[in-house]
Amino acid sequence: MNAAKGIWFAFVFLLLVALQYTLRPVLAWRAPIDFLVIALLLVAVRARPGVAAMAGFVLGLLADSLTPGAFGAGAFAMTVVGFAASSLKAAFFTDNLGLNGVFVFLGTWAFDIIFLVAERRLASTDLIVRIVFWSPLSAAVTAVAGLVVLLLVRPVLGAPRL
Amino acid sequence: MDLLLAATCAGAAFVLLILPAASREGAAAALRGTLVSPLAVLQEKAELSRRAFLAHDAAVRVADSVTLRSLRLVGLEEENERLRKLLGLGAALRWGFIPAEALQGRGLGDDFTIPLSAGQRAGVAPLSPVVSAEGLVGMVERVDASLSLAILWPHPDFRVSAMAADGSAYGIIAAHPGTGASRYFLELRSVPVRSQLKAGVLIVSSGLGEVFPKGIPIGTVVSELKTADGYARSYLVRPAVKLPDVTSVMILTPARVRAGVDNVWALGTATDSATKGVVAAGDSLAGKARPVPRVRRDSTKPAP
Repeated sequence: MNAAKGIWFAFVFLLLVALQYTLRPVLAWRAPIDFLVIALLLVAVRARPGVAAMAGFVLGLLADSLTPGAFGAGAFAMTVVGFAASSLKAAFFTDNLGLNGVFVFLGTWAFDIIFLVAERRLASTDLIVRIVFWSPLSAAVTAVAGLVVLLLVRPVLGAPRL
Repeated sequence: MDLLLAATCAGAAFVLLILPAASREGAAAALRGTLVSPLAVLQEKAELSRRAFLAHDAAVRVADSVTLRSLRLVGLEEENERLRKLLGLGAALRWGFIPAEALQGRGLGDDFTIPLSAGQRAGVAPLSPVVSAEGLVGMVERVDASLSLAILWPHPDFRVSAMAADGSAYGIIAAHPGTGASRYFLELRSVPVRSQLKAGVLIVSSGLGEVFPKGIPIGTVVSELKTADGYARSYLVRPAVKLPDVTSVMILTPARVRAGVDNVWALGTATDSATKGVVAAGDSLAGKARPVPRVRRDSTKPAP
């Protein structure tokens, strides 16, 4: 990645982080778009698994700082998802749009499941409803948004490094 | 190496997760005060924007309601003011009058007559003067059992024997036979040539003819009219009563006409004081909730 692409990448990454704290509260959907997961997956497909895990850890800490009750849960979930996504990118991140969507969907859903289990706030029925219904819905919405982002940035950033 | 880095991060996250609540809050606060601070501000602004967006329609509805109510309030204040003046007039007259409402529904071609809500049963007689706090409104022409019909001052048949308030000139008031806006002026006719009136002079009823008692304000002189008549002057008079303001009126009884109205309209300050008194008394009476019809019946009898 050359300097220009690096700047663009940083810009897109920061933009996605900013969208998490601007567009997401404005939309306030019941199944929200997780822009932080999209940002993490964008890093994951372009970086080594260790770097992706570290990026996930930092992004998770940022998110956790505003939900102190679950401090560490987001960091843990993001670390796992970042590492796993970066490790599995060769399998998923081809030029196939559908597979890219599945990649984002699974990444978001996995993050939600790990986060919900790690934070230990919800229990029994609530947790199941959240994991089985709302999390996949949120993951699907995030997947659509992620695909839009990927389509927009691909001409600028190029194909990911597999 | 990647696995080690990931394991370290996951371990650190796990440690954060199992830290005591106070320590976790301390770490979160440190982040919120530094790195996350601008993001928290962004989130706050975004949430405020959302609330403002959602509240916009409701705010517009509230603003519309407030505007509508304030518009109605202006009309109510004006009507309230007129009614207070009328109450002041009633207090000044003390007796010999019948309060009535000017009923709406005047049609085209019937601009200068008005139905009144009081009739024979209330003691209204034909040719009774109709007055308001501002002055002379017209004259009762026909009387039914419960309603009466009055002609207003612009009516072609309306005539009043009038004079300058200082008694320097006498004449006959009639509707000004103009067109358009000038139709809503009066004329003071048959004023002797020697009596010259300046603009702004108050014209009142003279009491001659015994239909209208002396001293009811009719209007003020605007200018002299040029006429072919060489031995009398005519003046254009701006009416004291504006027709759109004619909503609540007083009908003077024949007994009151005979007794005269003295200086009821002459002392504006007295009327204002009476108004204030009546308003204060009205506030007290409102608490006691005395029936209104009794007041109307009593007002037709001479004061003891």
